[in-house]
Amino acid sequence: MTLVPVTYKGGIYQHDVIIDLIEDLGGYIVQKHIIAAEVVLQCFIPHDDIELIRRISKPLFGEVTDSPLVGTEIAVVSMSLEIHHLPHPSCDFAEYARRIGAKTNMVSPARGPGKRISQLSDEERDVINEHDVAVLAFGNFESCIEYKWPALRRGIEVPIIVMGGPDTETLKRIIHPAAEGYVGNVGRFMRRGKTEEEIGILDEIVAEVTRVVEKKREEIAKDPLSVSPARLMDLIRENVPAIHDVTSPTPLTVQMEGLRVKLPYDTFAGALRKIEIEDGITIADVAEIVPSRMRDYILVKILPFSETNTVV
Amino acid sequence: MLAIEYFEVECPEPLGAAYYKQITNDVLLDHNLLRVISKLHIFIDPKVPIFVAVGTLKKITSVVRVRDFTSVNPVGEKITLVISDERYLAPMLKIFWQKFGKDKVEQPDRFTVILYNVEADPREIEDLVVADPSESLFKDLIYAFRLIAPEGFRVRSEKFSKEKFSFVASEDTLAEDLTPLISEKFALIGEKP
Repeated sequence: MTLVPVTYKGGIYQHDVIIDLIEDLGGYIVQKHIIAAEVVLQCFIPHDDIELIRRISKPLFGEVTDSPLVGTEIAVVSMSLEIHHLPHPSCDFAEYARRIGAKTNMVSPARGPGKRISQLSDEERDVINEHDVAVLAFGNFESCIEYKWPALRRGIEVPIIVMGGPDTETLKRIIHPAAEGYVGNVGRFMRRGKTEEEIGILDEIVAEVTRVVEKKREEIAKDPLSVSPARLMDLIRENVPAIHDVTSPTPLTVQMEGLRVKLPYDTFAGALRKIEIEDGITIADVAEIVPSRMRDYILVKILPFSETNTVV
Repeated sequence: MLAIEYFEVECPEPLGAAYYKQITNDVLLDHNLLRVISKLHIFIDPKVPIFVAVGTLKKITSVVRVRDFTSVNPVGEKITLVISDERYLAPMLKIFWQKFGKDKVEQPDRFTVILYNVEADPREIEDLVVADPSESLFKDLIYAFRLIAPEGFRVRSEKFSKEKFSFVASEDTLAEDLTPLISEKFALIGEKP
């Protein structure tokens, strides 16, 4: 059964019918937003049942759209949190990607700006590596980007998408070693992007991120995970009641190869390891549970089939 | 952009120059500084790296007096001031309290201030200086140029006078004598430093 990431949008009336249906079909709801009288569900549903959900939700004016970024956590790396770089364009993209289902986090190095003086600490590098992909927002000068790129990418193992002022071709030419994705014409600017052209660039970034995410999904499919991250999310939700008291918008953040659990590591890691998935297989058997570098959260890294020899 | 007589951004990378022209325009517009700058030349070389901004300033408008934003109506022992622009209300009240004492100053509502039994002549009150917009001008200009310059360029040397200014920034130590560089850029706008 292949699960595909989709977004369901519909009225609040009888939306529990849709939730029950998704769960009965073996799908998972990653995030649920209720905005006024509208419900937005970001979920994974079995590929063959999309049509069924479409048919049942039609009388409720529900809409099912593909959203490949659901279930991914993206690091938007802005060179600093100063007014020079924020809120445009880093927040513009972070916010735009959230609307289509991605969970984006802004990460900013303490000494990111500049050319020669730009650097990345080990903590910053580890935080970026906890995400699925990283989008690095550079400035306007090609000589600057060319110079600082090797220092900033060192140690980052997740796919990187480079955003910068020069056009895409120039970025491809100056960036050594190569990044996974490039989006040009979006460097530092200090006003809100309102024109069609400016918003079009956000779509371009999303397209590029989607391409990189899809490629990573294909890689994962070659050696599938022992358990689906969305399934673990459901299990933790059922077995660890403390997760319901977390006020964070996404107490359980689904990633492509794991899960971020926003509970203190020391208190809950043991309990998490012991949760049984099925037939006596516990989470500890199929995943590594490690402390996250982000606050005192827990990071669940799901092991691939080749390491555990089990798929549950 | 009409307010500025001369405005150029010089950079070895043409696309970078275009971006920085836009940034400069946005920042100066946001901070309401286009009205005080008459000529502006910016030079950026990211390879060195260096950022230079030179320019000339327009004559800054004079001080703000009480009569500029209130109408003063003396009736017997009482002087009523009707305020049209609230922006200067707080500094004006501060001056009144200091000059006449709090018991003689009353503010019944947002747009009215009443003075009781004050010894000053209504004309004298009208002429009181409340604020000097040029006082914070240099502070605002330096802040704006810090925003325009690339963020890593933290070593700065700036010179602001009533008519001209120069702002040099880099991430490396600046040359000891910046005069030739600044003069060269001033020559481009037809001025001398």
